[in-house]
Amino acid sequence: MAFLQAVLNGILVGGVYALIGIGLTLIFGVMRVINFAHGELLMLGMYVTWILFDGTVIGLPWLHLSPFMAVLVVIPLLFLWGAFLQKVFINRVLNALPQNQILLTIGLGLIMSNAVLLRFTADYRILTGWKAADGSDWASSTFELLGLSLSKVNSISFLIAVAITVALYLFLIKTDTGQAIRATAQDRDAAQLMGINVKRMSVLSFGIGSALAGTAGALTLTTYYAYPYVGSVFNLKAFVIVVLGGMGSIIGATLGGILVGVTESLTGMVDSGLKEIVVFALFLALLLFKPSGLLGKSRM
Amino acid sequence: VNRSPAMRLLPTLPRPRGNVWIGLLVGAVVVVALAIFPQLVKKPYAINMGAMLFLAIIMGQAWNVIGGYAGQYSVGHAAYFGAGAYTTMMLLELNQIAPWWGIWAGMVNGVLVSLVIGTITFRLRGPYFVLASISMAEILRYGFLYFRNATKGAEGFVVSKMPKLEAFGATFSLLDKRTFYYATLVLALVAILVNWLVQRSKLGYYFQAIREDQDAAHSLGINPTFYKSAALAISAALTALAGGIQAMLLKVITPDGVFGIDLSVQVVLICIIGGIGTILGPVIGAALLIPLAEMLRNPRGLAQIGLVSADSGFVQFIEAHLSNAHLLVYGILVVIVILFAPDGILGVIRRIAARLRRRRASGQPAANPAGA
Repeated sequence: MAFLQAVLNGILVGGVYALIGIGLTLIFGVMRVINFAHGELLMLGMYVTWILFDGTVIGLPWLHLSPFMAVLVVIPLLFLWGAFLQKVFINRVLNALPQNQILLTIGLGLIMSNAVLLRFTADYRILTGWKAADGSDWASSTFELLGLSLSKVNSISFLIAVAITVALYLFLIKTDTGQAIRATAQDRDAAQLMGINVKRMSVLSFGIGSALAGTAGALTLTTYYAYPYVGSVFNLKAFVIVVLGGMGSIIGATLGGILVGVTESLTGMVDSGLKEIVVFALFLALLLFKPSGLLGKSRM
Repeated sequence: VNRSPAMRLLPTLPRPRGNVWIGLLVGAVVVVALAIFPQLVKKPYAINMGAMLFLAIIMGQAWNVIGGYAGQYSVGHAAYFGAGAYTTMMLLELNQIAPWWGIWAGMVNGVLVSLVIGTITFRLRGPYFVLASISMAEILRYGFLYFRNATKGAEGFVVSKMPKLEAFGATFSLLDKRTFYYATLVLALVAILVNWLVQRSKLGYYFQAIREDQDAAHSLGINPTFYKSAALAISAALTALAGGIQAMLLKVITPDGVFGIDLSVQVVLICIIGGIGTILGPVIGAALLIPLAEMLRNPRGLAQIGLVSADSGFVQFIEAHLSNAHLLVYGILVVIVILFAPDGILGVIRRIAARLRRRRASGQPAANPAGA
């Protein structure tokens, strides 16, 4: 039973991880750029959520906006910010060496985390006093399902993550713009020859990718704390998720997210200090024996 | 046809170009000036910054061998730095082995770690290699945090009693920053020499061939894995040395400090901002970034060496708005460099010099048409 419980908890957390992975893999698929600032975008999402909850920064101390509602603000804000980064910075290095692209995103990440550090100091930020309508503490409340006890917050986060993932799938598969994005990811030159504005698709993809990272940040803040350098924790996690699933594969990233969530949860049963080591060992083993990931095509 | 591999690796001594002697002369003057510096300026802040600067040059030069010449962008050099730092520190604290022996053991350990990491990561290329190199350093960091019984976990080690070095009829105190200043200055020169030798030896040409096109190099009979491992071993040796010395200079180490990803990124930035694959690049990068970072971290030090007064608006502004944010400056610099000067600062200097030379050359034919 404890095993099942851990697996279920892992899946719930994995849903949010999947959002992080899908954003990164979408950016990689369309631009062939590994976004090393992905964790920092997530961190920005966390801070926006915290600001909306705390309210004092924007002069509305009574606001206390629930993080689940904050998602509605985080998505457009982070979309615009991501689109801006793509248009002004990343678009200029699309034909540069991959190393230079990586360094550019590292530099952008440093700017974001340290700008936040300057403005908000290194203090840990949590949603202090986040209470449900009946006055109970949100973060620790649980409910029973088939004899398993589940965290309410994690379950709602999971449902939101699933809803967003499904919406993204529908967008990519059903709409013309979505098809244009997928065509650009498949073959940039051919897509351009077909009259697709690939630069616009790039801006759009980076915007969507960072909106997904920001959403994951908002949902993560329900159980985790925000600080300016929190991005590096999630950067590495995002890489693991994406490489696990196969770079550029959205279904792969979804699977990778769940897999990392479950692995962490199961390792946590034995010893929570081992979580990261096991995840990284898994990551390395996969890089060595199947670098293309579970669902990706070989791109060694 | 059957030349031994060792023979092929010997450096072919370069024929000095016209300006080499001027360069050497300028270099010698700078070195002499740096050697006299601690006698003139006795402030510990300045001496400490000098030692940190030389350590950064050692690390930059070390990364240059694998990243610049062999073209393998490792973002996990903290692994070797940490190996050197922990070996030196643990030998001193647990076995009472003096650090001037310990750093060499750290160097050996760094090379051993590099051989393991190289075997695992060199099968991967491009972005996959970058990701693998990061995760190797992270595994070490989490490992050192986790196995508390052996490594004291997040608490790390602090030097409890520093022995005195007696050599050449003199006593060198390892509590005196000047000892570190001179030691790191000498080692920085060694690191520069190593780069110079690598650049001009056959070994270096093999590295560069792999950087330009690994498959073509392979088809010409260069074993990529072997030579990449060789480049990484040289790089790791120097990095581990820097790690051991810095552990003794700061006298305290923690897994997050010596195995952290910040450190790996910082080393790469020093090279990128200065100019990758050149000997002067890491020197320029370190000379620019380290004083800038130290100044932002502790502006009162500037007051200590008498450059500004302690209550000046400049110091107050930095303390109020920019302290702890030296990485912000790194970030801005790296974005500017990648967008506008992908060859680094040295590349910009060279481009300007070439333009000046061309202008001078194109000025002559007007006076003497036959010269064209």
